[in-house]
This record gives sequence, structure tokens and C-alpha cells, in this order.
Amino acid sequence: MSKVNDRSRDIGKYMVQPDDDIIICRCEEITKGEIRKAVYEGMFTITEIRRYLRTGMGLCQGQTCGKLVKGIIAKELCISTSDLESSESRAPMRPIEMRVLGNEKRGGE
Amino acid sequence: MKKEEGNNMENCADVIIIGSGVIGNAAAYYLAKRGRSVIVLEKSGNIGNGGSSRNGGGVRQSGRDKRELPLAIYGVKNLWPTLSEELGMDVEYYKEGNLRLGKTKEHIKILNNLSKNAIESGLDVKMISGDEAREICPYLSKEVIGASWCPTDGHANPLLTTLAYYRKARQLGVRFITGEEVTQVRKIKGKARQVVTKNNVYEGESIILASGYESRRIASTFGIDIPINKVLLEVLVTEEQPPMFYQMLGTAAADFYGHQSKHGSFVFGGSSGYEAFNKDNGTPTTSSITASAVCRGIMKYFPILADAKIVRTWAGWIDDCVDHVPVISFVEEVPGLILACGFSGHGFGISPTVGMLLSEMVVDGKTSIDLEAFRYDRFKAKI
Amino acid sequence: MKRYDVIVVGAGPAGLSAAIEAAKRGLKVVVFDENSKPGGQLFKQIHKFFGSKEHKAKIRGFKIGEELLKEAEVTGVEVVLNAIVIGLFLDKEVTVNVNDEVVHYKGDAIIVATGASENMVTFDGWTLPGVIGAGAAQTMMNLHSVQPGKKILMLGSGNVGLVVSYQLLQVGCEVVAIVDAAPKIGGYGVHAAKVARCGVPFYLSHTIIKAEGDQYVTGVTIGEVDNKFNIIPGTQKHFDVDTICIAVGLSPMSQLLKMAGCNMEENPKKGGVIPVCNEYGETSIGGIFVAGDVSGIEEASSAMIEGRISGVAAAFRLGFIDKEELKAKARELEQALLSLRQGMFGPGNKGKDITKTEEDCDVSINLLKKGYMTDEEVVKYPGVKSIKGIHAVIECSQNIPCNPCQDSCPKKCIRIGDKITALPIVDEKSKCIGCGMCVASCSGQAIFLVNEDYEEGYTYVTLPYEFLPLPKKGMKGVAFDRSGQEVCEAEVVEIKSLAAFDHTNLLTIKVPKEMGMKARFFKQI
Repeated sequence: MSKVNDRSRDIGKYMVQPDDDIIICRCEEITKGEIRKAVYEGMFTITEIRRYLRTGMGLCQGQTCGKLVKGIIAKELCISTSDLESSESRAPMRPIEMRVLGNEKRGGE
Repeated sequence: MKKEEGNNMENCADVIIIGSGVIGNAAAYYLAKRGRSVIVLEKSGNIGNGGSSRNGGGVRQSGRDKRELPLAIYGVKNLWPTLSEELGMDVEYYKEGNLRLGKTKEHIKILNNLSKNAIESGLDVKMISGDEAREICPYLSKEVIGASWCPTDGHANPLLTTLAYYRKARQLGVRFITGEEVTQVRKIKGKARQVVTKNNVYEGESIILASGYESRRIASTFGIDIPINKVLLEVLVTEEQPPMFYQMLGTAAADFYGHQSKHGSFVFGGSSGYEAFNKDNGTPTTSSITASAVCRGIMKYFPILADAKIVRTWAGWIDDCVDHVPVISFVEEVPGLILACGFSGHGFGISPTVGMLLSEMVVDGKTSIDLEAFRYDRFKAKI
Repeated sequence: MKRYDVIVVGAGPAGLSAAIEAAKRGLKVVVFDENSKPGGQLFKQIHKFFGSKEHKAKIRGFKIGEELLKEAEVTGVEVVLNAIVIGLFLDKEVTVNVNDEVVHYKGDAIIVATGASENMVTFDGWTLPGVIGAGAAQTMMNLHSVQPGKKILMLGSGNVGLVVSYQLLQVGCEVVAIVDAAPKIGGYGVHAAKVARCGVPFYLSHTIIKAEGDQYVTGVTIGEVDNKFNIIPGTQKHFDVDTICIAVGLSPMSQLLKMAGCNMEENPKKGGVIPVCNEYGETSIGGIFVAGDVSGIEEASSAMIEGRISGVAAAFRLGFIDKEELKAKARELEQALLSLRQGMFGPGNKGKDITKTEEDCDVSINLLKKGYMTDEEVVKYPGVKSIKGIHAVIECSQNIPCNPCQDSCPKKCIRIGDKITALPIVDEKSKCIGCGMCVASCSGQAIFLVNEDYEEGYTYVTLPYEFLPLPKKGMKGVAFDRSGQEVCEAEVVEIKSLAAFDHTNLLTIKVPKEMGMKARFFKQI
């Protein structure tokens, strides 16, 4: 069950930080500053940041950046990372060519 | 705006919107633009967690029920082209046309019918040959023998559009609250006024119910039934590809639909045929067979994508209305209540228009486009 | 559709162990692994494991892997390699990408043992080629015989950082430093000591400020941090390196469980998002089990036991054994697991500031901060005694569950007792014959033979030595102390390599008499 989360509450203003241009999501090349800014634009959850910026949508599906993004959002919102729900996990667990995914044998005889 | 005894001023607004999907967010934005105070309540932890973030992104006029055409045409003409600029954020709107492909004589027959209907409604759809289709999109399989072509159709990014409306509405002072599950809409002295959640009570002069499938449950708390069913849709997403084509695609055989996004990845939806019967675990679960079927469908028309890697699949529920068009309606027997749900899998393309019309309903009491076809009380027995 | 009694995802230590226990009880088991070689992390672990005999102590990780594979073969487990389980769907159905096609299977039970992935930490330049995970470096070295780089900085002083640093030295890399933001070394003191005496410096309370380089790493700057994690001005230090290894922890790869709809929880102590499960590893979905790192980061030894528990539990669930057998076997395995989780580094003691051992000795502060004990500290431990003639000197000062040294001595000179976390005691009365079995059996390479009475004016010190090329008898060189400082001249008097030592060679050097309790490493000049 999700906790009540008022998106109009005062979380302060976005202030530039010296390490804002560090890349966090390597697959999609999203920087720390972009993530931080997005929080101030109303994106308070991992899923919203993901849909807004594409963090975690690349080849590794967030395996590398997941924890990092979580930490950045939590820090800006002054909450614990355990207050943030992780992204959905979906098939395929590894990228797979269309021709392979479409090459389906039922039953594995 | 009156305040009910005992209620927190903070929880009162001109308009309470239930559901933070693209419809609810768009309505919130247009209402805020016209000076109304708005509170949007969302049950899940995320903005736009239902159909709005789980659709194929089509912004099309072709292939629609006649009743929806005015809404679709209005949006493509007046709202979509400047939406990114207006919302201050790129919603990745492409107007590169819509190709509906056919490989057999039967397919062509279907496409002919669809086109005829569309042309009769004043839409610029025409039938083209396989070669003409390949001129528009060189990556098509040689087996495509014809297509219907609507040059003013297109697509956009539904995730970004939903969040763009949210972002701008929030900037204009709309209060969005997630994690607030609505349990009841309550009439006070004959008028719909209170929206009761698990944690709070909110109050508004107008209440817009735009909660997708959940609208049915909430509507029952004020004695209205909306005949909608949950149907599961699944989509697959490829890794980034070099820019190939930006037409919106579909097939006469309904094997798949989709497009290439600005990012370069292809987003394709499709079905295994069992969607109305698929089980789930309470969340939209992907089945083990759909993605494979969609792949086979795609490769028949785009053999070049055979080696494209799929990185993600996902699923979502459509709120399919019994006659496959939405309910966008005042509910006169529940004064103050406006319904906007049952978009049956094609709400995204008309969402800016619908958002605008909802704001007209609240502020002007009437709409600039006739919504008679979408009334809540249109569901009569067949005899 | 082909249905198995149990489908195991992952042929690492947990997965294979689970499969073996299930197959032993008559279940039809298949294990899918995405790699081309089975054994998961085991085949990268070239060092000797800790624990006791039942935990396979003093056996090298890859040997344990080979044994597991053999056992799996013998018990009839079907292992399918290059097989990626791409989805776990309703009704316990999996789809597997194998041989360029997707095959559907169902299991009456599913055991997910997919392990963990390496964490990343960001700093200016972290995306430059040359910044790699410590696990990745280990894969390169130990599976593919590729040297990860020439000059390496290791970030992270947990066991992974320490063990991989040593292995980097073994393949001929220079490890310029081990850096950790924490004020204490996170891994075993003996692992730290192994690299400290080779001259690798530790920088605790330090962090990486910047990785330099245009197209790839050419250097790195570190700096000291205060308790607010801010860089203290003026503490910058620069190293020329071509590789930066990151060893900052692991995260469970629990995506299959999340996809299946298991109740998940975020548990920082366990490394991240894990499925909620009971004592048998069964998740909120009946019949779906987890074992190993995917259920909480620990190590291979505990992964194997957890795997066995879930294999037995699956057998019970499917009616192949009765409740009594489940309870009895589970109790036995849980005891083994419990004994592994004792001691200073046990999960119960995580985060605690331990200042005394169970024997009430002072814990070596220097070992925690610099990676080596001082001369004054080392003599306080029960394994370090001054005895006439040849005798073992056991520089083991932290309570960890480990006792191969006790069993190794044919003259019973070494005693630990029933509680395997106890510090080993060297018995002054027993007669040491200098066989060196204890030196070779200590997985921490913390045992030395010292003989001050063999030759006038000299002390003979026998060290464990795992580097190539092996020094030759008569070779002259330099002896180093625990901190990696040169202390005196040394000459090789013997180099012993017996099969029983399992590649821990015994190097005996002679040093000036008073250096006997200082000399702990040797390099040829």
C-alpha cells in the first residue's frame, strides 16, 4: 500500500551542485543534475523519474543505476531509500532478439 | 466555494479530480489555466500509473469509431501540434502519418471498409499500393500488397505527455496527492460534494471521475454503473535502433501496432488473442506467450527488425466500454459529478481534447464539441 | 509442456546445492544457467575457504565448484548451460532462451538462485574505461587469464576488495592502494594482512575524488573525508593507475521474484530488495523458493547451505519426504548455517564496534585501520608464544568461524575447541616437528613457523607463499614486516611444495636472529 504523498509539499528549490554533471544512468546517459532537477519538477518516485528521464530503461534495465537513482531521490526528498518503491521487474531478464523471442517451442521436448 | 463543517480548508477546492492519468492531469491543467483551484487524488504511488503509462502512444484519427472522430480531429488540428511548447516539455509528438498494412486480399477488403467509413466522415484516408507504402516506409516487407494511409495521424510519448500535464498543472498550483485511495463519493444535501479516501475527506464544487477501470467501483458509490470490462494489453520495447521511420503502424489483421520513438526504440503492442480472458495476480501481469506472438507478427511485415533486441515487455489494463467509446458526461442525477472514463484503449490520442472539454464542462457548463454520443445514460437494452 | 518437479534458476553454489538435495530424494530436477560454465562465483574463487570441515574449509573455491558439479552429475541433476531464464510467469512457468529459441517449462517448485550484481559508486570520471567492478576483475583473471591492468587502485576494504587485491598481486599487477570511506577495514584482518605485508597501503576514511584520463583511466586522486563525508582540504593524494576496481558491495538480482509477484522488502542489511521468505527460503508464493545471495548477500559457504535447505523443503512440499525428515535435515543444516554466522563478522555483529575478542583480548586497532598488527599487539594473542625450537606462530586475532589449523597438526599443537570462532591456541608443551601442514592449511595465511635455535645468529621463518615464480634455494633477498616495510636481508633456505599443501608453498628464509618476529614476507632483490 502506498503512503499518502502530497506533491505540493515544500521540498525547497533546485540548487545546482558541483557534481551535477556526473552520469548516473550509463545506458541512457542521464546525469545526476537531471535527476535532481526532475524531483523538483514533481517526480517523487523511482517510476516517475524512470518514465520522465528514461533512467533504468536501457540495456541493463536499471541493474547498474537503480541503487544510485534511489539514493539521489531519497536525498532530495529527505526520506529513507526504503520509503521508495523499486521499479517493476519485467521479462525479458536479458535482452533477446525478436527472431529468438518469436522462435517459440512449447514444452521443451 | 462553500466549506462543509469540520473539513480542513486545505482539502477543499473548486474541482476534485479522481485519477492522475493523462485525462485527469490534462483536465487539471486546463482548469488551472482558467483560474480554478484543483486537487487531484491518485490511488497508486505513481502519477499516471494506469492506462496512461501503458499504451501504444497513437495519436490517430483513422481507425476510430465515428463518434470519436470530432474529438480526434480537433486535437490533431489545434492541440497536439503546439502541446510541447504549451506545456514547456517535449512530448515527442510526430505527425508522420499512419500506415495500416495488408498482405492478403482479405486484409485489403478490411482496409477498404475502414477507409470508406473514414472518408465519409471527412478524414483524409486513402488506400495505397504496396509499392507506394514502401516509398513512404522502405523497411516494409515485400509481401505487403497494400495499405490504408492517413497522413495527418501520428504518435507521441504517453509517459511524457501524462507527466508533462502533471508537471505544468503542479506549477500552476494544482495539488496532486498520490497514495490516496478513494472509497466513496458522497452526496451532501443532494449534490456530489465529498470525496472520501482511506485517510481524508476532500470537498469540491465539481468532481471529475477519471480513474480508468476503477471508475466503475467508485461510480457505484453514487449509484451509477459504467459498463466497462478490464482487458489486458501487452507491449514490447526494443533497444535503441538507428532512426528508420516515424509513421504510426498497424495491420489489417491486428497482429501488432506501434512506432519508433524519438529515443530510437520501437514500441509495439499486440495480442495473443486471449486478452479478455488472461488472468493476473492483481497487477497487470504479462503472459508467457504474448510477446512471442507479437514478435512473429512484426517480423512478417518488418523482417529488418528480426535482430532488434527486445529489452522490456509490459502489460496494462484497458477499461473497455461495452460499445468501445468512452463516457464523457455530466451526470445530472448526481449534480456536480462529471464522468470521464471507459476510453477503451484509445484515450491517449484524444486526451488533450477531452481535458479541454472537461474544463469547459466545469467552467462554462457546456462544451464546444458535442458530447451527446458519450452520455452516461446511453446504455439501453437491445430490444 | 515439459514439467519438472523442481526448476532451479542459477547453477552457482546455492542452485547446485539445492538441485542435489532435491535430486537425492528422487525429484526430477533441471538447473538453468545463463553462463557457459556452471558454478557461479565459485570458479573465480581461487583462495581457500574458511569455516570448518563441514563447510569445506581450506579447500579452494573452484575445487568446491568441481565437487558440486560431480555430485550433481552423480545424483542425476540436469544442468543446462547458456540457458537464460527470461521470465517467471503465473503457474510457475518459466521461459528459457536457449539455442536461439524460447522454450516454456513448468515446475511444481521453482528455486531461484540467481545471485547478485556488483554495486557502483559514482565519482568524477567513473564512466571511463578502466573503472571496473572487483568481481569483473576476478572474472578476467581467474576465468579468462587476462590481467585487468598494470597499476590498480582498489576501492572497498570488505572481503571482496581484500581477496581480489591479493589475486591482482598474484597475477603480477601493482595494487597502489586500498581505499575505503569507512574508518575501519571491513573484511577479515587476515585478508588485509596478506596484502599489507606485500606493501599495499590502506587509506581508510578516504574516498575517490576523481578518476583522471581522457579516453581511459590514467590516474586517480583520493582525499580524506570527515564524518559528514566532506573532503578535508589538503588531504588529496594522487596515484598513477590504469585501473580502478570497485568493491562496494553487492545487490541481490531478485527481478524474477518481483516479476512473479512475490512480496518483496527492501533490507539494507541484506543488500537491497529481496523476497520475503520463511526459514526454508519459501517466498509468499507457495512453491517458489530462494537461496543464496539473491535472498540476502552473504557468501558461498552460506549459499550452499541455504540451497540445500530449500532443496529439502521443495522435496517435502512435493511429497517426496515427510515432515520429520524435513525438520531433522533442516535443523542439521541450520546448525551449520548458524555456526558460519558467528564471530566478529557475523550478521548479528554488523555495525557494532567490537573492542575485545571472545577471550577478552584487545582487538588490534592497527589491524583494523592499517591492515597489520604491530609487534606489540601481535604477542598478546594465544597463537603467538615464545617457544624453544621450531614452533608455529599463529597471528590470528579476530573471532571468525574457522578451524582447519586445529585438525592439520599431527602433534596436536594447535587447539581451538568446540566453538570454532575461538582464537587458536599454540600449546607450549607439544612437540612441533616442523611439517608445515598448519602453515599450508590456514586459509588466512596467518600461520608461520619460527625457529630461533637452528642456526647461531639467525632465525628461520617459514612463510606461506602463493606467488610465481617460486624463489629458489639459496636466493638472496629482502624480508618485509607486516606493514610491508623492508626490515632486513634474507636468504632462502628451503622451498617446499607438496600435494598436501594444495599450492600453498612453504618458503623458509633465514634472517638475523632478532628479526624472527618481524619478517613476514620475502622478495628477491
